[in-house]
Amino acid sequence: MFLSAVLGPLATLNPNKLQVLGGASQQLSCLHTSISLDDKHWEKNNRKVYPPQLPEEPRRPAEVYHSRRQIKYSKDKMWYLAKMIKGMSIDEAIAQLEFNDKKGAKVMREVLLEAQEMAVKNHNVEYKSNLYVAESFSGKGQYLKRIRYHGRGMFGIMDKVYCHYFVKLVEGVPPKPEERTGFDQAKEYVQGLKNRTIIHSL
Amino acid sequence: MWCFKPERIYPEAAFHLPYNWGKMATSLTRTFGSLRIVARRGLKNAELALNIQHPGPLFLPVRTKKRHFIPPAVGMKGKKEENPEAKARAAGIVFRQQYLERPINIACSAGVFDPYIPPEGDARLSTLSKEGLRQRTEQIRQSAASQLAIRKVKEYDSQFSTKTFAEQAQEIFIEAHNALTQFNKEKLHSLVTERCYPEMTRGNRYKTIRWRFVESLEPPRVVHARCPDMVTKGNLYGQVTVRMHSKQTLAIYDRFGRLMLGSEEQPKDVLEYLVIERHLVNPYSRWRLHGKIVPSWAPPKDPVIKVTVYFGPLIIFLFRLLDG
Repeated sequence: MFLSAVLGPLATLNPNKLQVLGGASQQLSCLHTSISLDDKHWEKNNRKVYPPQLPEEPRRPAEVYHSRRQIKYSKDKMWYLAKMIKGMSIDEAIAQLEFNDKKGAKVMREVLLEAQEMAVKNHNVEYKSNLYVAESFSGKGQYLKRIRYHGRGMFGIMDKVYCHYFVKLVEGVPPKPEERTGFDQAKEYVQGLKNRTIIHSL
Repeated sequence: MWCFKPERIYPEAAFHLPYNWGKMATSLTRTFGSLRIVARRGLKNAELALNIQHPGPLFLPVRTKKRHFIPPAVGMKGKKEENPEAKARAAGIVFRQQYLERPINIACSAGVFDPYIPPEGDARLSTLSKEGLRQRTEQIRQSAASQLAIRKVKEYDSQFSTKTFAEQAQEIFIEAHNALTQFNKEKLHSLVTERCYPEMTRGNRYKTIRWRFVESLEPPRVVHARCPDMVTKGNLYGQVTVRMHSKQTLAIYDRFGRLMLGSEEQPKDVLEYLVIERHLVNPYSRWRLHGKIVPSWAPPKDPVIKVTVYFGPLIIFLFRLLDG
């Protein structure tokens, strides 16, 4: 409403993009268009279509985005598991989660298996083991509030916590994290000291 | 676990009218000192004498007890839901009537009736040999049912002729596939029937298709025609089968731009039997592509560019090979 009042008949409003006709584009490119609460943005990444690659280009690895919403678990507890499997290959991640005792591990394993199946079926991934977990994190879901009774007529508001879990699988071999020894770090530190110089000096 | 201080539950206190307006001055000073209205006090005796009572301010800010958030789930223990439906109706929410029906499409028929059975070895033999000549002479003149069907079609469409229709069919085919590459839904719907549309487009939404019609090797021919009627006796649909031998290139890229099937440079010879349909009774109907007939002796298709084959929703409709 506000935007249409500001821009007048020149602007056409799309849900996510703002197209403005005329010279007002410079002023209005910094406007923030908010995302509505119902949009599930993570899943929409699966709809992105890339143009066909030329034969010289290196083969683009397939990416699959998957999530599960409103898991009855704490986001902080889920984070530990998500951090654990980040960067692992999918088989390793599934195996680790299978033998983990936490409640969130079971849910997470199901999500990973679903994502793997989706990748093979819909996203033209050839080998189901050729995937690794590129991104995995948890987010806060919508909480329910309840009363927790204390003594002396006091009460507290209890949150029934829910969380979301997001995962992105990428085709290929998991990238090796570069190992930096203490010696390398020391070398870099010394190099930084050596690079110091006085500007505008004679 | 609950890290904030528990608060006492107090009943809600709100603004209230001063109930005793005569003792206005005293009540005012007692509740708050800052909002003393001096002028009023001076006028008070005169007002009383004249029996004029001005009403005080409607809302006096009275210091209230701090209101605490009580989640709505407090009173929910053991309560049976009376009737959420009645409540919703009372609130004015109107639910749309649910139609438990399956929509039927009458603009096209459900399948190919009496499909044309292509002769074995069609287009493999040269027309000069005896076998080839025999095939050539087995034209539509032999088939009486086709003749009858064509006569029926000519009743409704006077300009129909088998010679021009074959060319028209090829044009429809080319335009439909071009619309498929651009994924122009409206145009595609006008060129292709509702039964054929999902066959063509299933699984293709996030894929890029590059298709090109190189040339036609033989002129297209009408080989078969039928005029089935659906539901009622007069509701005629005309289905004409056209045989096409042409060169085409097809390349399908997946969501990430990687080649899935075919190649863009290498054209292939394709022999196809297209079924074109029209709802004859409707004067505004058009001839649209209804389906394809795949003979049982068709050569196998090109393999997908993948080592492991998953029988998922790939496009199988477009690509047919002959002679490799």
